[in-house]
Amino acid sequence: MATTNERDPDGWQARLASRFARMGAVVQDTENDAVAAGVVGAVSLAGAFAGFLVTSPYTSVCIVGFLLSVGYGWVRHQELAAKGVTMAMTVSTVVILSLITVFIFYEAWPILQDRSGQVLGVTVPGLELFTTTAWTPAEGTPRYSMLPMIQGTVLVTIIATAVAGPLGVAAALFISEIAPAPVREVVKPGVEILAGIPSIVYGFIGFTVLSPWASDQFDLVGQGTYLFVGIVVGLMALPTVVSVAEDAINSVPESMKSGSLALGTTDWQAMTTITLPTAFSGVSAAVLLGVGRAIGETMAATVMLRNTPRVAEPLYNVFYGFETLTSLIAANYGSSSGLQKDALFVAGCILFVSVLTLSIGSQLIEERMDHDLGRAE
Amino acid sequence: MAGAAESTVVREDTSTYEAVAGLTVGLAAILFFLGLAATVDIVSVTGTLAGLGTLTALGLLLVVMGLAVVAFGLASYRGIFPTDPRASAGLVAATLFSGLWFLVGALVGSETLGLGFGGGLAVGLLVGAVGFAATALPREDIGSTLPAGALAVLFGLVFLLGVVGPEWSWSPASFPDSQSVTFFARTIAPFAVILSALVVGWAAAKAYGGFGARGRHLGAYLLVYLNAIAIIAVLVALVAFVVVKGFAPVTESVTVGLGVGPATTIALFGFSYEVVWPVNWPFLMNGASLFTDVTGVFPAIVGTAWLVVGAVLLAVPLGVGAAIFLTEYAEQGRFTRVVEVATNALWSTPSIVFGLFGAAFLVPRFTPQPQKSLLAGMITLGFMLLPLVVITSREAMIAVPDEYRDASAALGVSKWQTIRSVVVPAAMPGVVTGVILGVGRIAGETAPLLLTMGGGSFVGAGQRAKVLDSFQLSLSPPFVTNPELTQATTALPYQLYQVVLTGTGETAGVTDITAFGWGTALVLLAVVLLFYAVGIATRQYFRSKLTYE
Repeated sequence: MATTNERDPDGWQARLASRFARMGAVVQDTENDAVAAGVVGAVSLAGAFAGFLVTSPYTSVCIVGFLLSVGYGWVRHQELAAKGVTMAMTVSTVVILSLITVFIFYEAWPILQDRSGQVLGVTVPGLELFTTTAWTPAEGTPRYSMLPMIQGTVLVTIIATAVAGPLGVAAALFISEIAPAPVREVVKPGVEILAGIPSIVYGFIGFTVLSPWASDQFDLVGQGTYLFVGIVVGLMALPTVVSVAEDAINSVPESMKSGSLALGTTDWQAMTTITLPTAFSGVSAAVLLGVGRAIGETMAATVMLRNTPRVAEPLYNVFYGFETLTSLIAANYGSSSGLQKDALFVAGCILFVSVLTLSIGSQLIEERMDHDLGRAE
Repeated sequence: MAGAAESTVVREDTSTYEAVAGLTVGLAAILFFLGLAATVDIVSVTGTLAGLGTLTALGLLLVVMGLAVVAFGLASYRGIFPTDPRASAGLVAATLFSGLWFLVGALVGSETLGLGFGGGLAVGLLVGAVGFAATALPREDIGSTLPAGALAVLFGLVFLLGVVGPEWSWSPASFPDSQSVTFFARTIAPFAVILSALVVGWAAAKAYGGFGARGRHLGAYLLVYLNAIAIIAVLVALVAFVVVKGFAPVTESVTVGLGVGPATTIALFGFSYEVVWPVNWPFLMNGASLFTDVTGVFPAIVGTAWLVVGAVLLAVPLGVGAAIFLTEYAEQGRFTRVVEVATNALWSTPSIVFGLFGAAFLVPRFTPQPQKSLLAGMITLGFMLLPLVVITSREAMIAVPDEYRDASAALGVSKWQTIRSVVVPAAMPGVVTGVILGVGRIAGETAPLLLTMGGGSFVGAGQRAKVLDSFQLSLSPPFVTNPELTQATTALPYQLYQVVLTGTGETAGVTDITAFGWGTALVLLAVVLLFYAVGIATRQYFRSKLTYE
């Protein structure tokens, strides 16, 4: 430690010290009762959180303490209290969001540990969940393979993206560039309302109308196909693609389009040679977000699929739908316990991580587009 | 661009060509709708159409249109009609056509010629490559008409020559028996017709525009407009379908008149007063019971209402407060950036993951015994709503121009006063709209409720969540308890899921469960779309009122 400090005199210790000094100065400048109220408030909020974690009945006491201190601060030092309360709200938002991550992985850990496997002498937790293809929780030696569900999710997502991607980008182009104003006033809210139709309603229509129709048309054994789940999910992911892609297309500076039109290009030429290439990263971010929505869609899949985890054969057989990661959780959570329940959390982790990656990836792409446009202007 | 002026002059006598091309686009539209009608069995594939067998008639149309499109290309190529085509139809068109022709080739190779998977792949690649070359290499007028016309002619001939007759069917051998698929002519033919109509219509629209920039413009606009119309049509069809199916069960034995409705007792400070509703709407006012004529969704409506109230109470203050801090107090830097990325990521996190979190974190923490509860459902949905509130509130506050803040500061007003009386009111429209749209979304959310709140498939009216009546004070901590909040209950989307689980038939005193399901779906849709309508209307209203420039 000493050596690092010698090389870097302005290390973390110094920074911490200066931070404390600044904090001390702030405390010195503030009136005593305000500091006291702030400390009481912070301590009781932390107490309430701790109390909730350990299921203590005294949680409510801590909450009352927090409210009282905030009330006192509000009356006497509104300026400071407002800043403190909004900061507490930010912190709780961040804490809530991190708790979600922590708890899903915490609950999934037992089965990951139990089903670990060896690769080149290294123990990989949860490896056995991916080396078999059987999901048989009721048998003597229960197997929990994630592979059938991963196949289902991949097939559904591919079909949904094939539906939502091209149609969504075309609709975004239509709304932001092509449609005359009165038409846009109809189409844009229309697409938003499409996003508003609850997934269970889509699922119910799929369950009562589409699935029987598909079984009849293709002479299937039983009901439930990845194909139609994918189409329905694609329809549900469509509004996400449209709204994000539309934002990206709108953010292309008007001057660039006008420049192109002034050179005598048609509208469509301006779109394909100027607008779309410039908005390309934003549009791909939109498609990525759409993929994320499709991966996470639950109820339509749960209701329309067979809910018996199996691998569809051949691997591209989209006419039989068994289970996706999301429908596995929704259909089995109520009746599962022990390792099986933990396996559901593993499915949750896979979903969470893949959607998180897609979301962060699309945000980075969008940021790059803003950056590029900023430079272009 | 001397050529442009020249061609406008010459264009005078191209009207016949344009008229024929326009006619072909119209025919393609008719073909498209015929195909659509055949998918939903309005036009029977096994029946007749205009005196001929349906497939023969469709095949004839396809061949005629395919030949017409090829003729446009040739006529343009030979210079019979003046057009201004580019050197090539472009890579996008070439890729799409090669994909289509690859599929055709692969299917014919592997199944008709019996070459198996590898052989089919090889034939497909070959045909796809030919398709690509035929589109990309020749001049645009040939490249965009020949592959399109050939596809339509091929499908047309297949129907005309009876290779695919009305009773044709095909089951791929590579599928195991337990997962077998059979393709029937009645299923495949309409899709082939729709596909060819799209391709031929696009090529004819290009020909109508005389190829080149104008032709591409027309061809692309045709498809883009069609796409927009299709999306709106799907939306209208979905809503209309639910309304038609659900209207009868929802409005069953509704009576209006003084004193016909159920009585509600309002008890306040020891006084009690009984109100008798002037309307009796059984589907909305009854629960499930053996003793009522009409099974209703009253408990589910109450549950959804409480869920929305709870989620909004939790998420809106927290989210708006966090947005104020992030926008106004915090230094714009790494911290705000990380929070922003995290909230965006959480907004796209699947709802079932929130459900898992609620089940693992919230459900075990409510006494007396851990069970699914209304409170857990409220908090889970609140957490789902939270990122959206933060995102929209931040956007709205960032959109408030800095001049507003500066003007307020110049008057000597403190920071918090500025926020309270300038920033928040100016950002209010955006926040309100965002919250309303978000509420519409969580009101229809089902997956988290399965894991955190739902209980009971068909709940009687007496078992609804009576939250207000059940607060209890006690002397030992936690001092305030409410057993209704810590009990499982139902909600509209959950009720609909229960209908699906139950399947069809008669159960729990519900005579026709499918009709009951459609009714529930209609009520849920009405509730959610009401939120959306209000949200969108609010936004339009404020947008017309408020412009910051």
